[in-house]
Amino acid sequence: MLANSYYLIAHDDRTGRSRLHPRASGLGLASSLLGELMLYGRLRAMTGDLYVVSQEPPGDSLAHRVLDLLIAQPQHREIRTWLAYLAADATDQVGERLLRAGVVEPVTRRKLLSAQTLYLPLSAEQRNAAAWESIRLSEALAHRRSMGLADRALIALVVATGLTRHVFAGVQEQRECMRQLPAIMASLPDDVVQLVQYTEAAVGSALAVGRR
Amino acid sequence: MARSTASGPDIVTRGLASNRLGVPSVVFFGVAGAAPLTVILGAISTIYAVVGNTAVPLVYFVAALILSIFTVGFVAMSRHIVNSGAFYSYISHGLGRVAGVAAAFVALPAYAAMQIGLFGLLGKVASGVLEASGIKASWFVCALVGWFLIAVLGVLWVDLSGKVLAVLLTAEITIVLIYDAIMIAHPAGGRVSTETLAPAQLLTPEVAAMLVLAIAGFVGFEATVVLSEEAKDPKRTIARATHWAVLLPGLLCGVSAWAMSVNTGAGNIVQAAKDQETDLVFALVTPYVPEAFINVGYVLFLTSVFAAALAFHAAVARYQFALGRERVLPRLWGVAHPRTGAPMLGSITQSLLALVVLFVYWATQTDPLIHLFAWGTTVGGLGVLMLMWGASAAVIAFFIRHRRRENVWRAQIAPLLAFLLLSAVLAATVIGLGDLLQVESDSIFNWVFSAAYAVFAVVGVLWAVIMRAARPESYAGIGRGAEQQVLPESPSFPVSHSLPRTSDVAHHS
Repeated sequence: MLANSYYLIAHDDRTGRSRLHPRASGLGLASSLLGELMLYGRLRAMTGDLYVVSQEPPGDSLAHRVLDLLIAQPQHREIRTWLAYLAADATDQVGERLLRAGVVEPVTRRKLLSAQTLYLPLSAEQRNAAAWESIRLSEALAHRRSMGLADRALIALVVATGLTRHVFAGVQEQRECMRQLPAIMASLPDDVVQLVQYTEAAVGSALAVGRR
Repeated sequence: MARSTASGPDIVTRGLASNRLGVPSVVFFGVAGAAPLTVILGAISTIYAVVGNTAVPLVYFVAALILSIFTVGFVAMSRHIVNSGAFYSYISHGLGRVAGVAAAFVALPAYAAMQIGLFGLLGKVASGVLEASGIKASWFVCALVGWFLIAVLGVLWVDLSGKVLAVLLTAEITIVLIYDAIMIAHPAGGRVSTETLAPAQLLTPEVAAMLVLAIAGFVGFEATVVLSEEAKDPKRTIARATHWAVLLPGLLCGVSAWAMSVNTGAGNIVQAAKDQETDLVFALVTPYVPEAFINVGYVLFLTSVFAAALAFHAAVARYQFALGRERVLPRLWGVAHPRTGAPMLGSITQSLLALVVLFVYWATQTDPLIHLFAWGTTVGGLGVLMLMWGASAAVIAFFIRHRRRENVWRAQIAPLLAFLLLSAVLAATVIGLGDLLQVESDSIFNWVFSAAYAVFAVVGVLWAVIMRAARPESYAGIGRGAEQQVLPESPSFPVSHSLPRTSDVAHHS
């Protein structure tokens, strides 16, 4: 699932902390949740607005919840609005989903006054699976393997939110990967392209303001 | 929409609002750059000493008034353009992209000059504080230490957190009010004089030029509009907060400048300022307060200057970052550190520039207070004034093209008034700059700074023309901020009929 893969790429597999500015990874996760609904054929994007095109419940409970919310709040259409809204708790939501799938374990870190639950892979097996997500992408790009829509959308989000350097860091064929990117972007359907563009813009604004 | 109005805001609106900023947070954001204690203790005493005119209090009130009028149209326009970062994006929206790039090229040296100027004050104040505690350190060494801290914090993108700033700011304002009360309670000759507030002083050309110095003390208030997308109510929160961010420092500075002249007597304030430099206020209140109170004031003064230098550093770096994103500067400037969001290259560029300037001042043994702080902020203030002037023209042009449901006062009268007033101030400043810098009438410094800005603007125009020819896709995005690729020119319009499967669309609102 798009958001699961994105989560594992965007978070350090040893510390569980976000590799990006927390607001950026939140926006990336919000975007991948919307992207999942697009891949399921439930959601479309037109000129910056989202439209529910099928109300049929998707199999996943989190995707179902997001779809229900989109249906129940028809007065909000803008991609920007939904990105901002979903970004607020997307990290916890996707973390919980990964927990249910047995991919990560919850770890509570206590600070002076607050406690924060992080979700991170603990066992060797979980760690391998988590690290595999980014290796898989760079391998496929380096060897020009054909990829499904979900992986191509994932790559677009990785690039849009600023994780490119991390994903391709360990690969020898870094240049080859970079050269593939424009073709990957061009191959995406228009809805996903819009979603990615709004995500990139939202991340840019969040970073430009620089408020935590 | 009926649903949301019937039972208050819906879950999405509430969810978004819970994370958003109210008026006080936005005001803090705007005032943080214009740290009041820096202006009151540093700038006002320096203006008294350097310009030698007693109209300083009046000048602050008038500057606040002019900027309030300017704010009306400026904030109104900010509601209609998305991602309104800086003055240049307003200018490119209102007057076209060529003017916008010219403005950006004026803005870069202007903000950089102000930030570097602050190092002069920082070095001087820190060296004074250290000397009082028995450690001998030249202003240059202190400025270098401050430079190093700011360079490191700038790259790490450690903004002083909102709470720290709020505490500092509250403490600063409190101590300023106490000092003011003490100075007014002990007037020279036993009588509180309002001589320095006499409006007739405004008619001298020198006073009109001094307005630029006052305006330099407000720089930063325009940053509030950056938060328009993060505010609880983008319409009212930002408008109120911006007015507060102008009026609060304006009143505080004006009253303090007046209080100083009350205590010394209008005739003696200039000489006192020349003797005491930035220690002026402390020297004036020392006879009436316990020593600890003075020490607290010095420490707050130091932290205030440091916070201002850091805020300006961040602003300069962010400006370069925004221009890099829009490809006006090379794209490397538009790369942020992925984790912290720090605009790396912008931050490093400004630090290196500051270091070079500091070394030049040290090597030539030039006075840090007059020739670095006063000159830096004056010259920077001139550039910012040019930007405000351009922005006020842009507001007029913008609302001529589309009224956009703003009333006549906001869309036409206030912008026109602001433009006329700022034109007068700008003209007076360009003519009287030599007086403000206290140079001989045949010195090149009378005109070289204005000329330099003109050159920067012309280079900007040329650069914009080159961009239009060579990279039309980048050119189209100028002034559009990070949202450039995805913002449709017109406001949203109903498109549901063009969807392939309208029958399945969940709603028809």
